[in-house]
Order: sequence, then structure tokens, then C-alpha cells
Amino acid sequence: MVTKRSVSLDDEVASAVEEAARQDGVSFSAWLSSAAEKQLRVRQGLRGVAAWEGETGSLSAEEVAAGEALLARLRSGMSGVASRVRRR
Amino acid sequence: MSPAKREGLVYGLGALHAAARGDRMMWALHRAALSNGIVPVVPAVTVAEGYRTEIRRDRIGELLAGTEVEPFVGESARRSGEVAARCDTSDLSSVAVVELAERRNFAVVTQQKPVLRAAAAAFGHDLVLYAV
Repeated sequence: MVTKRSVSLDDEVASAVEEAARQDGVSFSAWLSSAAEKQLRVRQGLRGVAAWEGETGSLSAEEVAAGEALLARLRSGMSGVASRVRRR
Repeated sequence: MSPAKREGLVYGLGALHAAARGDRMMWALHRAALSNGIVPVVPAVTVAEGYRTEIRRDRIGELLAGTEVEPFVGESARRSGEVAARCDTSDLSSVAVVELAERRNFAVVTQQKPVLRAAAAAFGHDLVLYAV
């Protein structure tokens, strides 16, 4: 089922969405819907992380930094094996 | 030659188990991905395996809240089945993870298993793996 909504976008954003939708081969609405869905997933996911932290303790700044560094390595195409991160 | 960049992450069964046992690096990586606008992807067959084999299903649910579960259907299921046969394995979850990584140019997060490399070779894929 689809709900129709009237939304307002900055001209530049609307143009960029139009171009991105054209490149991806989908409609303007489908592209916006997909972007919103992704944003909702991120939001739900971070809530999931917070729920886990509530149970086990928040990630320390060192752990957060280690996660960021690992992500950067993987995105750059480098494999790795698990190493321990000192707990706060 | 520098290694090829990856567009995202695919979680295998090992990632689900690591999250369930409270592996802090796994959760730190998951947080980093989401904070950078990356929604990790998990094949549906891997989700099924996770719920079949893990006691801490609540934690799998917390992890999956921030993922995209990709249906195991059509062409991807056919490719995975064919490669599983070539690799002489019934571990469809691992093969599906590699198939997804190859198709979407993702890095893999899971436990180290020989079948991963075998499947990657069968797909002609240069596997980027974080072994939890």
C-alpha cells in the first residue's frame, strides 16, 4: 500500500534527488521512500545498540574509535581478524 | 595495486553469534557502520540459522534492528545453490553471505571458515573478511 504525501524540498535537493533517481533507474518517489527507509533503519539500529549498551555498559570512546577504524579498514578493502578492545 | 574499496557490510552467522555473546568489537563496528549511514545486510537464510542456533535471540533482534534482511530468492538462491554444490557444502548461509558480498561489493563480517574462501574462489571474488 502507498500513502500520498505532499512534501517540500530545497530546489537543490530536489534536483539532486531527480538526478540520483534517474541514475538508479527508479522514480522520484521510490528514491525518496528508499532514502527514508534507510534513515529509519539507521535510527532503529542505533536504538538497538543503545539497548545492548543499557544491558552491558556503554561503549567507551576507545571502543567507538576502534569500531570506526575497523570499518574504515574494511571499506578500504583490507581484511582483519578480531582483536580485543580493552573494556572501560 | 591497492585493494578495491567496499560499499558496505554483510553479516554472516558468526557476526550474529558475536553480537549475541556481547562481543564489544562487533557492537562497536555495528555502531560505526550505522553512524556512517551504512546499513549492514544479512541474507535471510543466515537470519534463520541465527535464530535456529543462538540462545540469546533478544540480542540478535537488537542487532538485526539496524540491518537489511535480504530475501533468499530467485537468482541469488540459484547462484548460492550451484556454488554450494561445487564446494561440496551444505552451509548455504556462508555461501549466501559470499554471494551477496560478491554481488554488492561488500566486506564480510563472520567467523573464519574454509568454505568462505572456497565459495569466494568459485564466484571469482576477492573476499574482504573481518573474522570475529
